[in-house]
Amino acid sequence: MLKTVLALLGAVAVLAAASPQKTAWGDPDLQGIWAQKYQIPLQRPGPDAGKPTLTAEEVKQREAERAQQAASAPKRGDRIAPRGTLEDLTGAYDIVFEADPIDTSRPIGPRTSLIVDPPDGRIPALTPAVQARMREMRAFMLALMQSVDACKRSQDIACFGVKPGPVSPRRNEPPPYYLAAQIMGDRVINRADGPEDFGLGERCLAGGLPNFGVQQIVQSPGAVSILYEGWQRVIPITNAPHLPSAVRQWHGDSRAHWEGSTLVVDVTNFTPKTDYQGSRENLHLVERFTRVDANNVEYAVTMDDKTTWEKSWTVKVEMARQGAKANAIYDEPRCHDGNIALKDMLIGARMDDKAFAERRGPDPATMCYLLCGTGNPEYARQRQEGRGGGAGPTPAGPAGPTR
Amino acid sequence: MKASLSRSLLAAIAIVAAAVAITTLATRTSGEPAASARIDGKPNFNGVWQALNEANWDLQAHEARAGAVTQPGVYPYPYARVPAAPVLALGAAGGVPASVGVVSGDGEIPYTADAAAKKKDNAEHWIDRDPELKCYVPGTPRAMYLNYPLQIVQSTNKIHVDFAFANAARTIHLDEVDEPPADTAMGFSRGRWDGGTLVVDTKQLQGNWLDRAGNFYSETAHMVERFTPISNDAIRYEVTIEDPHVFTRPWTISMPLYRRLESNAQLLEYPCVEFVEEFMYGDARSKQLVKHWEGDSIVIDITRKMRAEGVR
Repeated sequence: MLKTVLALLGAVAVLAAASPQKTAWGDPDLQGIWAQKYQIPLQRPGPDAGKPTLTAEEVKQREAERAQQAASAPKRGDRIAPRGTLEDLTGAYDIVFEADPIDTSRPIGPRTSLIVDPPDGRIPALTPAVQARMREMRAFMLALMQSVDACKRSQDIACFGVKPGPVSPRRNEPPPYYLAAQIMGDRVINRADGPEDFGLGERCLAGGLPNFGVQQIVQSPGAVSILYEGWQRVIPITNAPHLPSAVRQWHGDSRAHWEGSTLVVDVTNFTPKTDYQGSRENLHLVERFTRVDANNVEYAVTMDDKTTWEKSWTVKVEMARQGAKANAIYDEPRCHDGNIALKDMLIGARMDDKAFAERRGPDPATMCYLLCGTGNPEYARQRQEGRGGGAGPTPAGPAGPTR
Repeated sequence: MKASLSRSLLAAIAIVAAAVAITTLATRTSGEPAASARIDGKPNFNGVWQALNEANWDLQAHEARAGAVTQPGVYPYPYARVPAAPVLALGAAGGVPASVGVVSGDGEIPYTADAAAKKKDNAEHWIDRDPELKCYVPGTPRAMYLNYPLQIVQSTNKIHVDFAFANAARTIHLDEVDEPPADTAMGFSRGRWDGGTLVVDTKQLQGNWLDRAGNFYSETAHMVERFTPISNDAIRYEVTIEDPHVFTRPWTISMPLYRRLESNAQLLEYPCVEFVEEFMYGDARSKQLVKHWEGDSIVIDITRKMRAEGVR
């Protein structure tokens, strides 16, 4: 009997040894530094409707087109507003961290959207309640933009939808919902009364789930630790129930188990201060990490929140192994330690307040505290005529897959 | 010969497999503290750990104090100070517990004369200067005994240490990796096994504080940490710090780290970046919540709306 057991175990050991993708204790091995392999938009763009995959020929053609566009496109930090104008100066903090408008760092992928379900590659419709919340937020944002001078002069991208008007009484109201959404330029409302008026990124509170960015995975028999760029999470491998509902966390509460060679992670208990594509504290993620071969991991994540979307949806990301020796992840969550800019922006806003009070400066309600100065057709024209700085289309926009 | 070799090889494999199976079985039981099964033949430090001492108040032996911040009392004696405004309203929760100290040997920290003066100055400006109060990354080794839980995730080529405080983390490389291009608060750590002890060599550190008493090291520091099992549920943690710009000789901190034995122990967030916004940016609000600012300094008036003799 003992002999049989030993022989059996021996056979298991041989199998384990034969597969390089097992840890010393026999779990599937997901360890290493992983990064997204391809450039694929989160949602399938309109022109690719009904076309989930690309042929090798099409990929090649798109690569060539992209290279051509990148050669003539502006680079990150290029501003289109005339140097020294208010629009030139606003948003200067964010622009440093933006990607080049045309990112060529990764090859174009064989799929036309990261979303694999629903089959149309698009995020399912938002529920009426969330649509209403977004309309309310949008109305508040617009109210704070209606008195901005830049929006009276032309349709700057930050002024989209703004109907010029007097200073809104809503400038003194709190926003109808916590400013958790991270949208273009990070900051959501045109006001800088306190730290809460800023974007989560500017407050060094960004970085959450799901995360499709660079990550270093280290495993132990009972837990998996993942270092993302600037934050970490520990995933217990357990079938214990989730935390009590009253305990909410920025990174949620993760519980994992193995299904064959796939690590399945169930994440709940998010705080209402987070927002992923409209989903807040009710976000429920099911992540699936699968080692495909020596150099590839597949990360699939299903977003489930019936209070936000009419049905759940799933994203699949091909992750490629990065050189471990180069030790690419040495990031620390140091955003906050070096966040001099937030204090400076607040002090700047107080100086604006003071200048206005002393009749030395414009009403801050007429100034743009968002990312004005980009995407303005007038400035683009001026640049073509040789005036102003560089031209810049909108920043990465909704295709940017990293939160 | 060949046959016997393969037989002994098979036997060896079977033993390894049995060990693997035991490891797996022993650690799969959900909700139970990690068992003592070894990781690749090495001590298993996996789990949630926490220092249970007063080191973060002051590494050195100290008596209890009435408040984390004190002021002269009505008597002039230095031992008769009373709690000062920042902590007065906290009553007994605002004091400092005593400690026998965690500095090895004579208990002294061998500062150079200049560094000793700086330490004293740090202590006098604790609230203004201590990076812990600003929720900055606590740095090595302070993160290890900051009195918040930490989790060790130990593999064969890397060890992650994840901290509740500020979402900090460090990687201990057991394999060969290039040095990072920049200094960090947690430093660049390379680990090796010396018998049953994990020895971690840490350099490329930014200077940092070591406790709330103003003890510190500089960016020229080099540390050697030693993790030795005391039992399944306790680790002897020692760190020797050498820094020629601050200390006249290397010196050592030594303390146990204890396993959190709750069956449902897990690392929870202490997201203090958000918590310190008022502390750090409150003066720059358009409508200040604290009404007494002088420049960017908070002037604290304690308004206790409770009976002075306490609430019954």
